[in-house]
Amino acid sequence: MKEVPDIVLRLTLTCVLAASVMGGVFMLTNEAKLHNEHISEQNVMLGLLGYGLDNPAPASVKLFNIYRYIISKGENKFLGYILPVKGDIDNGFQLVMIDLEGQFAEKFALSITPEKVSDAGERDKVLIAALPGDMHFFFADEAIIVNDGDKRQAYLLPGQFPGFKTFIKVFLALDPQLSVLGFDVVAHEEDPGLGAEIEKDYFKNQFAGKTVEAMKTIKVVKVPLPDEYRKYLEEEKQDIKMLEAEQEAIRQKYKDADIHALTGATISSDAVTNGLKNMLKKFVYRLQILENVINEQSIPVSF
Amino acid sequence: MATKKTNLELVLNGILDENPIFRLALSMCPAVAMTTTIMNGILLGVAVFFVQVASSCTIAIGKRLVHPRIRIPTYVLVIGTWVTVIDMVLAAYFPVAYSQVGLFVKLIVAFAIITMRLEMFACKNTLTTSFWDGFGMGMGFLIGMVVIGAIRELLGMGTLLGYDIMGFQPLLFFVLPVAGFFVVGLMMGFFNYVENVYKQKRLRTIFHESHKSNMPACNSCASPSVGPVGS
Repeated sequence: MKEVPDIVLRLTLTCVLAASVMGGVFMLTNEAKLHNEHISEQNVMLGLLGYGLDNPAPASVKLFNIYRYIISKGENKFLGYILPVKGDIDNGFQLVMIDLEGQFAEKFALSITPEKVSDAGERDKVLIAALPGDMHFFFADEAIIVNDGDKRQAYLLPGQFPGFKTFIKVFLALDPQLSVLGFDVVAHEEDPGLGAEIEKDYFKNQFAGKTVEAMKTIKVVKVPLPDEYRKYLEEEKQDIKMLEAEQEAIRQKYKDADIHALTGATISSDAVTNGLKNMLKKFVYRLQILENVINEQSIPVSF
Repeated sequence: MATKKTNLELVLNGILDENPIFRLALSMCPAVAMTTTIMNGILLGVAVFFVQVASSCTIAIGKRLVHPRIRIPTYVLVIGTWVTVIDMVLAAYFPVAYSQVGLFVKLIVAFAIITMRLEMFACKNTLTTSFWDGFGMGMGFLIGMVVIGAIRELLGMGTLLGYDIMGFQPLLFFVLPVAGFFVVGLMMGFFNYVENVYKQKRLRTIFHESHKSNMPACNSCASPSVGPVGS
């Protein structure tokens, strides 16, 4: 028993030393790590739009983030959207509140710059300053609207849903008609060789080109992937490129086809399919309401 | 009980006589799991090398602070600290490589070879000798990983460092985890064989010098080498 205080003292000292080393390294490297994550997210987004290293995005392509908050005032709940508006650069954003029936409630001008708006802490500060004291808010999600000049090019939706093990984080890209352009997995912890195949082209590309209507009805089927379809889905990896007409024929043939489950990973396949269907359904619904309100109130949004 | 070996002998000891993978048969998990390509082998090897050297030095400096009753927890704490450091550095500056080996870098905490070197060597020796011992052990591990990785990548995928060498895939079997055991086993056999031949030669010369006549059948010197015992 005599040794106990000695052991405690030495262990504490060791732990403090270890903690300071780890803390120091964390402070030195954290910025670079966050920067990497940001870059990889940007690359995923541009990749979904069809841009890459050999095909950089033109300067006319602009991304506008829309942040959705849930705001409660007493018993009532509202959806609050932070929208970029034209005009003064320092007051470039507005918070538009919509009630649960889809009717416009209130709007507030927010004094925040475009650089700061991507930071959750800065947004919170501005919201606390702008909103009356009896309103509480919390962040729900964001959506990104892509414009090429004045033309709508795409919608990018970051999202996550439960997979087989933990959350699967994805980016879903939609074209202006709200058909699926494609999706990409940002983070997941599915089993290698089984659920992790959700990252592979032959699964991912099955969603490309599905319309809103098709996305409502498709389901996961457990039948082997036909060879020609697989070849088409993995087109980028093929040595011999397919002819345009041939591609078009296969595209038409499988346009509204169900999703072929991954072998040995039905749960992951289901999770991704249902997750994407949900994301799309909710976004379409919300976008409609938001656009109605924007038109009704003639809010000078920059997108 | 400080060691009497020179620095060079310490390094060679880690690479040849007590090679962590082929002679001590320690830390076999990563040796089998991570060595499907050379690049993976190099990355994990470098991470282990860094952790081994850093932990050996830390324990050699702070051996007075370590209470004898709680040696192992303290070692794990030290190893864990350095693993976290290299984990954060890799995640920050080598994101592509990190996505490949990230999981196994965190597992270095449990690598038997590092704890074993701290317990057997670093806590009894000075900073300089511990550094060279850690250097040798880390190098031994790194070289082992690279050799296994090269064999498996060449035979399994027909490439080396991603460059196509053979132009076809000879035996896909070698990429599978099972083949890792085969390669490690064969390499162990090879190391033992080389050692046996070397020992026999040396014994024979000693024998010849002492008794110039009537050399017996070499049963005595073909004694099995002291087998490695590992976890």
